[in-house]
Amino acid sequence: MTVETSSTLSPATRRAATRPAWPAGTRKRRSPSGNRKKLAFILPAAIFLALFSFYPMVQLLRMSVSTVNSSTLNSAWDFVGLANFAKGVQQGDLGIAFGNTAIFVVVVTVLGLLGGLVAAILLAASTRMSAFVLGLMVFIWALPPVVNGSVWKFLLGDTGLINAMLGGVGLTQHAVPFLYDEHFALMSVAIVNSWAVIPFNALVFRAAILGIPAETFEAARIDGANRWQEIRHMIVPAVRPTTLVLTVLTVVYAFRSFDFIYVMTYGGPGTATNTLPFLSYLQAFVRYDFGLGAATAVISVLLVLVLAFIYARSIRSEEAH
Amino acid sequence: MSIPAIAPTITHDDATDAAGRPARRRRRRFEPVAGPLRLVLFLIYAVPIFWIILTSLKSPGDVISSQASVVFTPTLNAYIEALGNAGLFTALQQSIVIAAGTTALTLAIAIPAGYGLARVDSRVTTIGLGLLIVLQMVPQTANVIPLFQIFGAWGLLNQNLGVIIADTALLIPFAVLLLRPFFRAVPDALEEAASIDGASTLRTFFSVMLPVARNGVATTGTLIFLLSWGEFLYAVNFFLSPGNYPLSALLAQQVSAFGINWPGLMALAVITSVPILILFVCTYRLLREGLTLGAVK
Repeated sequence: MTVETSSTLSPATRRAATRPAWPAGTRKRRSPSGNRKKLAFILPAAIFLALFSFYPMVQLLRMSVSTVNSSTLNSAWDFVGLANFAKGVQQGDLGIAFGNTAIFVVVVTVLGLLGGLVAAILLAASTRMSAFVLGLMVFIWALPPVVNGSVWKFLLGDTGLINAMLGGVGLTQHAVPFLYDEHFALMSVAIVNSWAVIPFNALVFRAAILGIPAETFEAARIDGANRWQEIRHMIVPAVRPTTLVLTVLTVVYAFRSFDFIYVMTYGGPGTATNTLPFLSYLQAFVRYDFGLGAATAVISVLLVLVLAFIYARSIRSEEAH
Repeated sequence: MSIPAIAPTITHDDATDAAGRPARRRRRRFEPVAGPLRLVLFLIYAVPIFWIILTSLKSPGDVISSQASVVFTPTLNAYIEALGNAGLFTALQQSIVIAAGTTALTLAIAIPAGYGLARVDSRVTTIGLGLLIVLQMVPQTANVIPLFQIFGAWGLLNQNLGVIIADTALLIPFAVLLLRPFFRAVPDALEEAASIDGASTLRTFFSVMLPVARNGVATTGTLIFLLSWGEFLYAVNFFLSPGNYPLSALLAQQVSAFGINWPGLMALAVITSVPILILFVCTYRLLREGLTLGAVK
């Protein structure tokens, strides 16, 4: 979980080292006591999160090993061990949700990163058009997911714009059931989710591209590099560290995502768009089996811990280079 | 906007980054492929927005025949109907109370935490950051299940305070991780000077650190407001009747109903988005810089 590398000195220490003129006595006296005091600033957040984030996690864990339904929610819970987990597996929902989550995360991550990079390259030039398109994209990213999800539900309907366009150019004879066919639904929601995350990724990639020294591009131009070579040999290597971090962020975003699913398909048709987080919601708040929902949620939290571990490892190895 | 995950500072010379290297102007050049591609990108994002507005101006009859038609007689009926409904104003009021309350409470807790984690380098900081990263990765659906039970036991269901607390707990990790690099970027010497002048730690924080890091605070505040404005899962589950729903929850409820009245729904979507548009126009420059600094640097 360590993100700060242990090898790095704090800015204060570094600065002190490069500034021998600073009276050493003052610094020694001030630093530890001053720092200790500053830890108190973390206290409100620590207390609040202990009450409303960590305590709920403990309750979730307790629920997952108990029988809890809407009538026993606020009374004593019967301990049942791993029965809820076994139930989830037996019903088959858990396996399906695993598969759906994996497909969903892969599609959103690949499209989100590729789309973000392409958009960033297109919008890195400081033209009026680029600035406008970037502004529009960031605005759409800032809109509530429930607004974006509603629009896409409308556009992907039987007589919606997308079907009208496909029919108009003669690609399809009948309306494509984007959101209520079990093969299309997951893909449709995943693609819309990618659409929603691309602006953020583009913004971050663009900052990385703008960070490349202009001289590098000029040198390449003089050597006769074309735009494609420029992208392949200069931009792509330069945004590598950004890509690493963005990949993790996008994977996490995709994994947590439930709002577009809620709005566009509500997990359906059948179980076609049940991802792990959404399945736990359905089990708890639609079927009122809080124990079962909690068990599914615990599994998704465990996956998050694995993700966080991989993330910390990858950052450390990146810094070791 | 769904909560974007935030990666805490990886590079350690934040100071130079946050000082803001002036954005280099890239020269304009003739690009035969990029131009049309840029247009495609524009259409992919502009058409859905355009379609919300277009549909909100239709009558329900226009939508039944074809949802894709462009030729129709525009009508403001959907808006008149929506605005004529007293429930809309309650929802708008709820949205404002929840978003403003969440923003205030989150900032009050996250600003000191961001500052503390930026200035202290110890084991506690490392553990704290690790926990925040894990927390911001936890799916919201995993929080809503135990919180429903806990709020039921504590009498926080069906109350604005409950939703505000839940939203705050959800957004604190994001806010702290976003704020921390802004505080890190403030030179230590500034604080040392204040303390040599005899200012207490608390006074230094309020009259030196806060003013210098105000851009970070403004960016974070804006994003928290936008996120809590759009949040609907807690609102839908913690309010026991739709009468108390904020706009986002109302929209979520109507879009998952059968036989959707699309013009009405789109009018509601536009009404929900207008405050976002206003806030966005005022803060876009801030967001563009702040996000790229705080998010991945």
